[in-house]
Amino acid sequence: MPIEVTMPKLSPTMESGVIAQWLVKVGDTIKEGDVLADIETDKATMQMKSYEDGVIAVIDHEAGAEVALGDRVMVLAKKGEDPKEVAAAAGSASGGSGKGEKAEAKAPADGGNGKRPARAVEEEAEVEEVAVGAGGRVRSSPLARKVAAEAKVDLHRVKGTGPGGRVVRRDVDEFVKGGGASKSAAPAPAPRPAARISTAPLQEQRIPNSRMRKTIAQRMVQSKQTAPEIHVTLDVRVDKLVALRESLNKELAAEKVKLSVGDFVTKAVAVALRRHPALNATFEPDAIVRHGEVNIGIAVALDEGLIVPVLHHADEMGLIDVRRGSEALAAAARGGNLSGEQLSGGTFTISNLGMYGVKQFDAIINLPEVAILAVSAAEKRPVVQGDAIVVGTVMTLTLSADHRAVDGATAADFMRTLKNLLEEPARMLL
Amino acid sequence: MAVFSFREALNQAMSEEMERDDSVFLMGEEVAEYDGAYKVSQGMLKRFGPRRVIDTPISEEGFAGIGIGAAMVGLRPIIEFMTFSFSLVAIDQIVNNAANMRYMSGGQFSVPIVFRGSSGMAGCLGATHSHRLEAWYAQIPGLTVVLPATPADAKGLLKTAIRSDDPVVFIEHEVLYPDKGEIPDGEHLVPFGKAEIKRPGADVSLITYSRSLKATLAAAEELAAKGIEAEVIDLRTIRPLDIDTLVRSVSKTHRAVIVEEDWPYCGLGAGISDRITREIFDELDAPILRVASGDAPIPYNKHLEASMLPSVPRILAAVDEVVYR
Repeated sequence: MPIEVTMPKLSPTMESGVIAQWLVKVGDTIKEGDVLADIETDKATMQMKSYEDGVIAVIDHEAGAEVALGDRVMVLAKKGEDPKEVAAAAGSASGGSGKGEKAEAKAPADGGNGKRPARAVEEEAEVEEVAVGAGGRVRSSPLARKVAAEAKVDLHRVKGTGPGGRVVRRDVDEFVKGGGASKSAAPAPAPRPAARISTAPLQEQRIPNSRMRKTIAQRMVQSKQTAPEIHVTLDVRVDKLVALRESLNKELAAEKVKLSVGDFVTKAVAVALRRHPALNATFEPDAIVRHGEVNIGIAVALDEGLIVPVLHHADEMGLIDVRRGSEALAAAARGGNLSGEQLSGGTFTISNLGMYGVKQFDAIINLPEVAILAVSAAEKRPVVQGDAIVVGTVMTLTLSADHRAVDGATAADFMRTLKNLLEEPARMLL
Repeated sequence: MAVFSFREALNQAMSEEMERDDSVFLMGEEVAEYDGAYKVSQGMLKRFGPRRVIDTPISEEGFAGIGIGAAMVGLRPIIEFMTFSFSLVAIDQIVNNAANMRYMSGGQFSVPIVFRGSSGMAGCLGATHSHRLEAWYAQIPGLTVVLPATPADAKGLLKTAIRSDDPVVFIEHEVLYPDKGEIPDGEHLVPFGKAEIKRPGADVSLITYSRSLKATLAAAEELAAKGIEAEVIDLRTIRPLDIDTLVRSVSKTHRAVIVEEDWPYCGLGAGISDRITREIFDELDAPILRVASGDAPIPYNKHLEASMLPSVPRILAAVDEVVYR
């Protein structure tokens, strides 16, 4: 029997996927584990792999098509089967030109036609589209790669005009001419030095919504409309934590591990969640599910939007594992390489804007979780100690909780535990 | 400069070298009494006599071997194969004896011999008489392999071949024999291992040899009309290969199409493409493409045969794929 390959569930919330590009064609012999296509889910661009061996007899949809979860995308002839006969028998699942597909294929920034939006786009720049093969590799000629390396241009940002979207020399030349050179590094999150004030007239821009942006919009509205939020804010003195961090980092310098304040927060949250399982939960209409794992989602800001990869079993990790795990997730997120597993299973989310110097903010709950912690900058502030005002390092934390599942006192109790742990980090050892 | 045909150029080269050196002689089927199957040796029997212009039986292996033996003891034979398709029965002599004698004898013997004759898809000759064996011979260390495309090169390269102290496989193309071209006056020698840029251009390198030069130049004209300047390179010698000229050209144009009449699989272009890729991978802005004959026995039918030849439309299609316009 021929094998029907269907649109897989590559993200926990996806209902359909857009075929960003096919990496195989009819007639190709494929083996289990071969990458068949890049699929844009609501969260990220993911690789669709084969679970079978066979020869491709039918491909049902062209690049750019949106395919519902579970719908057939291709048919494989197994060993001993004639792909042509299989193709004749299989027919076309849904026709290659459904209305939905056409509309989707036309959405320009959506990465249809075998392309996906480039990463690290400066805000002035138009959204470039780049042909990316398996493993994020850009199709490019050897000369284009050489010229790009000399000009320090990231080929991911260059739109290829050669066959199959191959980046050829003239594309790199044009890109450099257009002022794109040397912007290839990831954009620095630090505030920009005061640039010369330009008085040139601003241009109105219309930036079509990517799938990711649409998903963010839909889910944020859904959260605000369904979850009655309660916000609990408190200040945490982190002088001891900061001192501990410094001394640990000295010891860990040889291992090239550098703990951040955020890592301590992640660790403390994980410990606190074990003590307050009501916060490590999901609200369902007829029950509240208290999870058997502590999996902390860590919000990562990308140029295209927010993504929340998950640090699984954070409560079982020491600080070094937390640091390495968070780093790996952030790197995978920036590289667009997050796996389905890394994007699913979260039980609580942390959003940290401390690096921007933010004093306090409220985060929106990442449903179906019941709470999210907003972390601000640790900064020196005047602090009342006894009856005197002293200088202390203080961080303001705000918990947003879904009042359907979490009452104010429950939220406050969790926050007190968290404050305790962060003010005396040694308590995490208990 | 005067104008001569390709066959006259070959005749001049042999005659001049036979005048110059009494150890040079011509041997082959019908080279003497019949003036050569393609009239290349016209008048040579009359001029040099039966001692130096010798008809042989239909026995390629035999007279190739006699030639090699003669060369080992000091003569300079020119062995004519009526066509190189027939050299297949003499290939043991050419490869094992001629090409390897110097090496196997530790330098005690050299084999100054020229194997020459017609070759190629020359029109309704059928599969067994249309062989292009240049890639076979070009693979053999110990051989020099030459494929001239013009009367001037035919003369200059054949004179160089006759003066070579090592065996030379000198492959003529049957359809080129009546072609006319200018030949420099006086002593005209063309060195081995030097390609010639027939037409300069900056957009794509077209690498070819022998009869395919004609289709390639015609394609270059059509490309020029479309604003694409092709650099056409005539390899002339395929072993040793003038890699320097190829590297210079492709480093300039960043793309190459190889036009060859031999078969595609393991054909000459495969080896050339490999050399270029290894030397200047980073200069390539496109894959090196090849326009070769079809991968099948050569049909007798005229139209089918024509469809297998590297033709102007096929060359244009290949160029189109690499210039990205």
